[in-house]
Amino acid sequence: MPAAVPAVGLHSITKRFGDVIAVDSVDLEIADGEFFALLGPSGCGKTTTLRLIAGLEFPTTGSLRIFGDEVGTLPPNRRPVNTVFQNYALFPHMTAEENVAFGLRMRKTPKSEIEPRVRDAIALVHMEGMEQRRPDQLSGGQQQRVALARALVNSPKVLLLDEPLGALDLKLREAMQLELKALQREVGITFVFVTHDQGEALAMSDRIGVMDGGRLLQVGTPEEIYARPANRFVADFIGHANLLDGMVTGPDQVTLTNGITIAAPSDIQPGGRVAVSLRPEQAFLHSLGVAPGHHTSVDGRVEQVTYLGNALIYRVSFQWMHIDVRAENRPGRAPVSAGDEVTVSWEPSSVAVVQD
Amino acid sequence: MKGVTARPGSATAWALSGTAWLVYAFFYAPIVLLVIFSFSDDRNVGRWGGFTLSWYEQFIDHSQLQNSLWVSIRVALLSTAISVVLGTLAALALERFRFRGKRVFDALLYLPVIIPDVTMAVMMLLFFSEGIRIAEMLFGLDLTKGFTTITISHIAFNISFVSVVVRARLSGMNEQLEEAALDLYADRWRSFRYVTLPQIAPGIAGGALLALTLSLDDVVVTQFASGPGSTTLPVFVFGMIRRGVTPLINAVSVIMLAASIVLVILSIVTQRLRTGETGRTLGDRLRRRSDSSLMG
Repeated sequence: MPAAVPAVGLHSITKRFGDVIAVDSVDLEIADGEFFALLGPSGCGKTTTLRLIAGLEFPTTGSLRIFGDEVGTLPPNRRPVNTVFQNYALFPHMTAEENVAFGLRMRKTPKSEIEPRVRDAIALVHMEGMEQRRPDQLSGGQQQRVALARALVNSPKVLLLDEPLGALDLKLREAMQLELKALQREVGITFVFVTHDQGEALAMSDRIGVMDGGRLLQVGTPEEIYARPANRFVADFIGHANLLDGMVTGPDQVTLTNGITIAAPSDIQPGGRVAVSLRPEQAFLHSLGVAPGHHTSVDGRVEQVTYLGNALIYRVSFQWMHIDVRAENRPGRAPVSAGDEVTVSWEPSSVAVVQD
Repeated sequence: MKGVTARPGSATAWALSGTAWLVYAFFYAPIVLLVIFSFSDDRNVGRWGGFTLSWYEQFIDHSQLQNSLWVSIRVALLSTAISVVLGTLAALALERFRFRGKRVFDALLYLPVIIPDVTMAVMMLLFFSEGIRIAEMLFGLDLTKGFTTITISHIAFNISFVSVVVRARLSGMNEQLEEAALDLYADRWRSFRYVTLPQIAPGIAGGALLALTLSLDDVVVTQFASGPGSTTLPVFVFGMIRRGVTPLINAVSVIMLAASIVLVILSIVTQRLRTGETGRTLGDRLRRRSDSSLMG
């Protein structure tokens, strides 16, 4: 939870480009030392939000504070933040070392101080021996390390990362996820990073802010966002979810559009149109009629079985709706094939009721 | 670039090398002839009358030729310097900023590239004669056409060419680099000085060379902008031809040719020097590319 003085505080921040509202009255506080992800599909305003913090855009209205200081109207060179750009934006006419030293030089740091700090930053990202290379002589992963060193060498109070892993291939991306996380713990600086990859956000962040259409829809820990999505968009965007449309018909009770009534705890008033979100791995598959008593269960027919290697996805249809059930591929698994009559069950607490 | 190599000795190989030699002959035979006949001891340009250096001696003694050569060089250097600054600024304005009337400015800027030299020349003639009349009327200044008017007219068309070349380079540059510089505590000026300028330097150098060449070559516009006192070498030579061609023209041409070759070598040498000092330049990059295409 945010500490007394948040590292970054956005209060009713709105950014318009002509008629387009890129960021729509966003309120957000990011705590000191936090690894915070801004997550959303492309065009959701997450990059604009990051650019607002960096000073590369100025808010149309609202207040923007960094450690309590209002910075909304300051140019980027007067903010205590540094950015790792999407395609790194390393200066092509400078060596790796010169790139890293650039910020210190611009701030007129004494030469005697520049040298050790640049050396430390390069060591921090494990790029020793590459100091004299130019960006086009470095691989994508190495360029990304130089970009990190170039930002971190200035000891910013907040480090901003715009899709930092987007340009890397899958294997390297996974390795860099862990490394970035470790790096953040090591330097203890607040990291704010933008991504459209929900897996990346879940794996790396302390907290996630989900954005769509310029609005911040939900802020929470990965667990909160995944288990208790605030609305249909978040439930659908994060991971995979079965979304069953229905209406609240009583306390902790939802009647689905196909007439089936199930238990689903929520504090939404009866009559509200909702969707019941159920994660495929929270649902269990049983032989017809055999389900744990305390579970909610529905009977249906297996429509399709998808083999994933480590798991299987069973699509079970019941009265014009269907639920995907995910089962780990473990030994002793009873063979189920398309056409089998089955019962699907889940703990009542594992569903979330979301509004549109 | 992947190429198919013709089998040595095959008809294709012969045809290819034949074409290459033909093209070279087309380029260089006139130059060789020009050089040879500049040493010919005969008043008739096309007839060989034995070896002599007298045409070069005449050139050195010819004070009007000397004078026009100096005018040419001064006009070229000054108009290049000014048009490089103005052209680069125009390119920056068009590539980096949004302002009222940008499209109109954009279109107008390239007008001198498109309109015929003669039109430009007549425009300049009118402009200067009116300008001089008005200056005399209002301020009592006694101006005549000459060095200043030639330089102004050269600047007028060179700005367009410089800004075209610089803009091409600017539009190829990643704009995020400037943002990165700002993010790394550079102000606008230092972001330009340390990031933008080194990135577009090859474009500026290319634009400057183009401007220099265009200025040294120009006959039509200069003819209309020059006055009785001073004129540039090409215009003077053009006038000489009308009075009768002697190998003196050849000698003058050879000297101009030698000067432009020196210019080209100089530009290559400076690029090499820069390579040694700060790494790679445009020429170096081109060389690397051709190396890798040879290996690939």
